[in-house]
Amino acid sequence: MNMTSTELAPKLSTASIRKQWDVYSAFDWPDSLPEDAWYMSPELISLYGTEQYDALTEAQQKKLSFMELCNFFSLVLQGERPLVQGLVHRLYLKGTESVVSDYLHHFIDEENKHMIMFGMFLNRYLGKVYPEKKLNLPREYAKGEEEVAFLCKVLVVEELGDYYNVFMWHDDRIHPLVSEINRVHHYDESRHLAFGRARLAEKFKENSVNWSPEEMTRFRDWLASYLKSSWGDYYNPTMYKDAGLDDGYNLRQVAWENGRPLREKASERLVNLFLENGMLESAPEL
Amino acid sequence: MDEVTVKQQLRDWIVSRSKIPVAEGQLTDDTPIIEDGYLSSLDIVEFVLYIESLRGDEVDLDDLEPEVFESTNTMYQAFFAAAS
Repeated sequence: MNMTSTELAPKLSTASIRKQWDVYSAFDWPDSLPEDAWYMSPELISLYGTEQYDALTEAQQKKLSFMELCNFFSLVLQGERPLVQGLVHRLYLKGTESVVSDYLHHFIDEENKHMIMFGMFLNRYLGKVYPEKKLNLPREYAKGEEEVAFLCKVLVVEELGDYYNVFMWHDDRIHPLVSEINRVHHYDESRHLAFGRARLAEKFKENSVNWSPEEMTRFRDWLASYLKSSWGDYYNPTMYKDAGLDDGYNLRQVAWENGRPLREKASERLVNLFLENGMLESAPEL
Repeated sequence: MDEVTVKQQLRDWIVSRSKIPVAEGQLTDDTPIIEDGYLSSLDIVEFVLYIESLRGDEVDLDDLEPEVFESTNTMYQAFFAAAS
C-alpha cells in the first residue's frame, strides 16, 4: 500500500539530510563551454526529425542543442519560483502537519539550490535567463481547488523536467557538466515527486468530494489545458532566434506539430497519475 | 504593418483559438476577449508569442498589467501604437 504524505515526509527529510550537497562547490565551472559539443540530447531537441532540423549543419544543430538546453534550464528555474513561493506559504500553516513542515524546509532548500545552479549556468554561459511568458489572472476556485491546482502545477513542472533530466543524465554524447547537472537535479526531484504525488492524491480526494459536477468539469478542463500549455514553454521563439534560425514563431509551430510523440511519452507518468486519481477522465490531447 | 492590418491579424488569431464559436462580425476591436470567454489566461501565453512575431520584438510581461489584454484595441495600443 502506498504511504501517505505524512508517512513519507520524515523518511524524505532523513534522505535529504543524508544527501545534502553544497551548490557552490558541487561543480567545477569552466570559463567557457566548447561550441563543438552536444548540450540537449538530440532526440529531445524540439525540431529533431523535422526537415528544418535535417537541413542544419552539425555545428548549427549543436548550437541549437545549447539554446534548447538553456531554454529548458530557464523554464525549470522559472517554474520553481512560484513553487518555492507556494511551499513557503504552506510552512507552519494551520493544517500543515509538523512532519510536513519539516520536510518542506528541505524541499524549499533544494529548490533554492536548483535555481542557484541553473542561474549560475545560464548567467555564465548564456548571459541571461529566458523570461517566462505567463500571465496570472484572478480566477474562481471551488473550496480546496486552489490547493489542488498548486500541487498539480508543482508536479507538472517537476515530472516533465524529470523526464528530460533522466534522459540527459544517461546520455554520454552530451557535455559532462550538463549530464552532471541533470543527475543532481533528478536525485533531489525524485524525493519531491514522491511527496508531491502522494500529497496531490490526498488533497484531491479530500477536497473534490465537495465539488459540484460543474466545478469538477471546470477543474478537469483547466488541468488538461494547463498541461498542454506548459509544453508550449519548450518551444520558445527567442531560443530559435538565439540559435541563428529565422522566423522563430513559425519554427515553434513546426516543433509543436512534430513534438506530440515526445510530449505524450514525457507526460505519460503524470497523465496516469491524474487518471488513476480521477483528476482527469481521459488522456488529454497534447 | 498598418493599424487595420494588425488589428485584423489579432482578431483572426483570436477567432482561430477561441473557446467559443464566433460568428462573422461578432468580434469587434472592443470585445472583452478574456471576460467574454474567447481566450483563457493560458491562451495568452501563446498569444504573446504571436504578438512578438508580429511586432518583431519581445514583450516583457513583468511590466504589464492584465488589462492590456482586455481587447484588440488595448493590445494594439500597448504593443503596436507606441512603436509606430
